[in-house]
Amino acid sequence: MTKRIALAAMVLASLAIAAAYASAFLPGGAPGWAPWLMALGIPTALVAVMVLGAARDGRVGRLGLPFAFSFVVLAAGFCLAVALPEDAGAGAPLYLGLPLRAAIVIYGIGLFPIVVLPIAYALTFGEQTLNAADLERVRLAGEAWARETAAASRPRGESPAPPSADRVAAHPGARA
Amino acid sequence: MNPSMRHVGHPSIIVVAALYFAVVVAISVWATRRTKTASDFFVGGHGIGLVALTVASVSTSVSGFAFIGGPGLIYTIGLGAMYIVLPASVTNVMGAWVLAKRMRLLGEARQLMTVPDAIGARYRSPLAQGLSGVAILVGIVGYMATNALAMGVVIDAIFGVGMGWGIWIGMGVTLAYSVSGGILAGIYVDVFQGTLMAAASVLVFAAVLKVGGGLAGISAPIMAADPAFLGPWGKITPLAALSFFFVFGLGSLGQPQGVHKYYMLKDPLQLRWYPLLKTLGLILVLLLYFGVGVGVKSLVARGSLPPLSAPDAATPTFLLRFTPVLLAALVFSGVAAATMSAVNSFINIAAAVVTHDLPVALGRTPRNELKRGRISTAVLASAAALLAQTSGTMVAFLGIFGWGLFASTLVPALAIGLNWEGATREGAIASISTGLVVTLVAETMGYMKLYTLPAGVTVSGLSLVLSILVFFAVSWLTRARAAAQIDPDVRLVMSV
Repeated sequence: MTKRIALAAMVLASLAIAAAYASAFLPGGAPGWAPWLMALGIPTALVAVMVLGAARDGRVGRLGLPFAFSFVVLAAGFCLAVALPEDAGAGAPLYLGLPLRAAIVIYGIGLFPIVVLPIAYALTFGEQTLNAADLERVRLAGEAWARETAAASRPRGESPAPPSADRVAAHPGARA
Repeated sequence: MNPSMRHVGHPSIIVVAALYFAVVVAISVWATRRTKTASDFFVGGHGIGLVALTVASVSTSVSGFAFIGGPGLIYTIGLGAMYIVLPASVTNVMGAWVLAKRMRLLGEARQLMTVPDAIGARYRSPLAQGLSGVAILVGIVGYMATNALAMGVVIDAIFGVGMGWGIWIGMGVTLAYSVSGGILAGIYVDVFQGTLMAAASVLVFAAVLKVGGGLAGISAPIMAADPAFLGPWGKITPLAALSFFFVFGLGSLGQPQGVHKYYMLKDPLQLRWYPLLKTLGLILVLLLYFGVGVGVKSLVARGSLPPLSAPDAATPTFLLRFTPVLLAALVFSGVAAATMSAVNSFINIAAAVVTHDLPVALGRTPRNELKRGRISTAVLASAAALLAQTSGTMVAFLGIFGWGLFASTLVPALAIGLNWEGATREGAIASISTGLVVTLVAETMGYMKLYTLPAGVTVSGLSLVLSILVFFAVSWLTRARAAAQIDPDVRLVMSV
């Protein structure tokens, strides 16, 4: 279910981004709503593809919160940059050395996700991404595939032999 | 010669650059002794440690653009140029979730070594593998020629040997370690170079803050003279800035020079710390990109520097005027090394396409891959150097579309396809073809001034979103065939 939602979100986000691009071809250039489509479509696409990659047994488990946080930070950052009025020249107040909208972009979009996502990845790695048991299963599956491939390409009557480099490599996506 | 790089030939800079190259040669000799098989040559024998791979990956990600072209772009268009690097806050961890585990596990199960290998295995399709190989090859030709030209510019600026000799000297050094030590030499040269560049970037950023009086001191003169520069989109349209973020964010999942490295990690369980370490490394290296771009603009705004003759002069001007010569030397040598490292990485991938992926696509069994890989490397490097030397402005054109071409041809088929069992071979082939055709046709029409896209629309963004939509649409139309197109071991890799 989670993957289906992520795929649907990915398709919708791509359509939104495509519509934003298409609107730029209108007479008079991109209308005012085009950046909004991008501002919402890009975070949706990025978080959706992350969910797609992270989902395991159809769930993202404890990663739901970091993903939601990242979507909110990115979408809010872009939307605020679009919506807030222009900074007032020389007298504009500075936040950590930058005018408000620049600070939102640089610190919000550029730095906030760093604090959360890679740490969430590391903390959930064993349960959500990869562990020793997964690795062993994949190795065994790979060996089984190599045996089957070798057997399938062996002429009838020939005695079994380990898969040779050339036989394995003759199949697309395989090397020895 | 690029006017921005004309006066960097200080004796200390020459000495540091010569020492830099000597270390590169020493690493190459060491790596050559350890390169005995095609696996060693193309993926470091699947035996690179976490820290080495992370630093090398950071190094490959930034290239010379982050130190010369990038700050120049910020100086010209303001914060809009930051949208090229801001996605780094999510791209590394996104790559880890979407691709790193699955690519590394495919390497574990089938000993795969190339990016098209993964596409071929996922869809059981030599055609998809071959098409993606062709797309990679087309993109790499341009990238290599552009980097060869950049090497010529930097080496000429340091040693004063002329652009032509600069290209051949740079390519000669790169070729020496690429042919002999393969990717192993490239990885450890990158480790050396990346470490120094991270240190240099932090020191240069500190120098910018000191000269500018802190970030507030840097911003104030800009806000008085040119407030749009520090606006959220800089001097470009919101659509253009967001388009940068889209292409450099989602598009990062299709960059073979980064994705290819996932195969190399010795222990897949070490992936746990990879995104955190890589993101931190990238942030350090990109401090120079932001600091110099904004800092030089501020110095010009307050009258401490005259307006630059060319945007690319931002970094050389700041370094030569405001930092110790040793630091300047480190950065200039690092830029030369960064371009060489980029060439090494791309040559290696291209050689793998020529010696492995294209023969597989044509139904042939690759043989003698180490020997043929070395020969292909030499031929490809020489061709790139010749192209850089003879084709003038065409090189810049070829270099422009590499990122977008990789993104539009590989993101759907590889990144989405490895995570969605409903993706089909037909969808993959259609999306790769769409990315290839749209990018080549639109970029060529733009280059020949036959058609110009509206403001804010980039060819790379357009081709990426079109190829994604085509991928979904064709996969949906052919969905009945999806389940039968996945081998059991690949299905397992996709499900864990």
